[in-house]
Amino acid sequence: MPAAERPSGIEQQEARIAWGLVLPALLTILLVALFPLLWTVWESLHLHDLRMPWLGQPFVGIDNYLEAFRQPRFWGALGHTLFFAVTSVGLELVIGLWLALALNRAFRGRGLVRAAVLVPWAIPTVVSALLWRFMFEGQHGIVNSALVALGVLSEPIVWFIQPAAAWVPIILADVWKTTPFVALLLLAGLQNIDVSLYEAARIDGASAWRQFRHVTLPLLKPAILVALIFRTLDAFRVFDLIYALTGGGPGTSTEPIALYTFNVLLQNLQFGYGSALSVIVFLVTFSLALVYIRFLGAELTGSKR
Amino acid sequence: MASVLITALLATACGGGGASVPGPAVVTFPISALGAEGRVLVRQLSRFMAENPGIRVVQRVTPDAADQKHQLYVQWLNAGASDPDILQLDVIWTPEFAAAGWILPLNQFRPDTSAFFPSTIVANRWQDSLYALPWFIDVGMLYWRTDLMSAPPATFADLVRATRQAKRAGGPRYGFVWQGARYEGLVVNFLEYLGGHGGRILDGGRVVVNSPEGLRALNEMRDQIYRHGVVPPAVLTWHEEESRFAFQNGEAAFMRNWPYPVPLMQDSSQSRVAGKFAVAPMPAAPGGSPTSAIGGAQLAINRRTEHPEAAWAVINYLTQPEQMRERARVVGQFPTRLGVYDDPDLASGLAIPPAMVRRIIEYAVPRPVTPVYTQLSEILQIHLHRALTRQSEPAAALAGAQAEMQRLLNRVGLGTGEPIARR
Repeated sequence: MPAAERPSGIEQQEARIAWGLVLPALLTILLVALFPLLWTVWESLHLHDLRMPWLGQPFVGIDNYLEAFRQPRFWGALGHTLFFAVTSVGLELVIGLWLALALNRAFRGRGLVRAAVLVPWAIPTVVSALLWRFMFEGQHGIVNSALVALGVLSEPIVWFIQPAAAWVPIILADVWKTTPFVALLLLAGLQNIDVSLYEAARIDGASAWRQFRHVTLPLLKPAILVALIFRTLDAFRVFDLIYALTGGGPGTSTEPIALYTFNVLLQNLQFGYGSALSVIVFLVTFSLALVYIRFLGAELTGSKR
Repeated sequence: MASVLITALLATACGGGGASVPGPAVVTFPISALGAEGRVLVRQLSRFMAENPGIRVVQRVTPDAADQKHQLYVQWLNAGASDPDILQLDVIWTPEFAAAGWILPLNQFRPDTSAFFPSTIVANRWQDSLYALPWFIDVGMLYWRTDLMSAPPATFADLVRATRQAKRAGGPRYGFVWQGARYEGLVVNFLEYLGGHGGRILDGGRVVVNSPEGLRALNEMRDQIYRHGVVPPAVLTWHEEESRFAFQNGEAAFMRNWPYPVPLMQDSSQSRVAGKFAVAPMPAAPGGSPTSAIGGAQLAINRRTEHPEAAWAVINYLTQPEQMRERARVVGQFPTRLGVYDDPDLASGLAIPPAMVRRIIEYAVPRPVTPVYTQLSEILQIHLHRALTRQSEPAAALAGAQAEMQRLLNRVGLGTGEPIARR
């Protein structure tokens, strides 16, 4: 088909133009994302301690990684991160969904309530962390006084010196802050659902629960997945909240992996070991993202037929 | 980033600086001091420049927080910068900077080390050379309430007894407050309990904290919190300021702190204990002696400086008795020179009787003098905090800390008798 030859020539030309247009962006990504990453990997194969220049910077292979795997503090930090991610994201999804459903109903002053819900999300993390710290701090803080007055506690406790208790303000603060974000994402999803589907379901005699289960949830799935991806990856990199709330204590019992890496890299200036930790964190988050994209990506982009 | 600040004083004194004639040697001095402390320094430096027209001192502003300042210094020095010429060091940084080859040995300038408190000189030596000159000294002290008792406790047992008596008499709700959050301050407080029981952290290249004395000290700290109820558990989240607020509000009978709260707490507009407190050496157990950790500021010279002589002239000037007396008078900082304490003028300047200050300083011990102190301290902080928050037993905590600390020393070639461990 000679006629088809010419469009293909145009296509080739277009492809070239497209590459030419994308190239600057690709180069920028290479420069700001790939280069630092490779540099970090290279660093992680060396002993490089800024505070001990007399040790030099010898190549040590995968010793830094082996050192991390030998450290109970590393495994602890990984476990804390996982615990934090599962607990906080789970709570945020449930509460966020409930909030979104409530906000989706028509009622007077809905616009105002929607705006008000976003306030916690608008507050900088460090500020909200300090707010929560203030409420839980001391034997005479607000939370202690309230719980004692309500009879929940027989006497005030020092929240930040007990590993289990120290997680309470952390999880609460994160849920308080990010639930509005989840709710907003889900609300957008809810508003995309065709109202006629509910009408049809009602005519078929479906109960409210069945409507939710068989109409709302399936159609809301893409929005839920977006929220899930954002929140899991964010939760895995949690740093500022815990840094300001507990500093990772008591001991190291609330220390997430990002805080451990920060301590090694920027407090102790151990660039080699710290780089190895960074690479591990990168690999974990990257594989999480891959899992999401691989199994959920199709539904997310709607390309699956 | 730090900006170069040429003070108004300098600008007027130098009139922009003559560029044609061989200009004055410019030395840079990083400072973080605010308020009265900053003003004293500016005054002293301008006096220095008036007396030494060949030297101009330019100030560089640095963060006030020790950790941030340390990070900034390490970045500068690692990059081989010749600026700043003079460094103000925390006492625990001197061996680190010396071993890294970042600061100049001061022996070539023949400083009169015998005029200073020996412990402050020990803290600033590394491998037989002096690397920094102590500028002013901070020491841990026991603050006690003169309205609740007639004399300070000499032993920990006395302290517990005195607290109970004070409580029975309707005194403050807390007994003894200190700094127990997981940070450098925890190690400082532990060091004082440890010395009070006759123990040490480091002996040359050997970690010796896991000893009967160490165990007694850590048990004492734990018992004071959980068994005797003398120390509120909340101290395990406290830094210097939280303990000061508690003591200043009249909520505690005793406090361990540095000297800085004295002038603040004597100000009756913000303090409920003005005129009702005094300081004493830290308590000790039988077999130990009162122990105060050393803090404070030292002055050192950047090894890459282009003006070592000029830098030394500045340091030498700032550490003269006259300058120390002025600092003591204006901001209450303790001089590092013994001779200054014999000066009758000092008594009118310092809020605490100089004889008492001198006595406390004589009980002072440096924290372990090693280039890897901060790393050792981090290990110790974690294990101590776990033991004090009852996540681990004191014996296990000390054993764990000792093993990790020794392993670190061996790995970097600072352990005794052992070859540099292959990684």
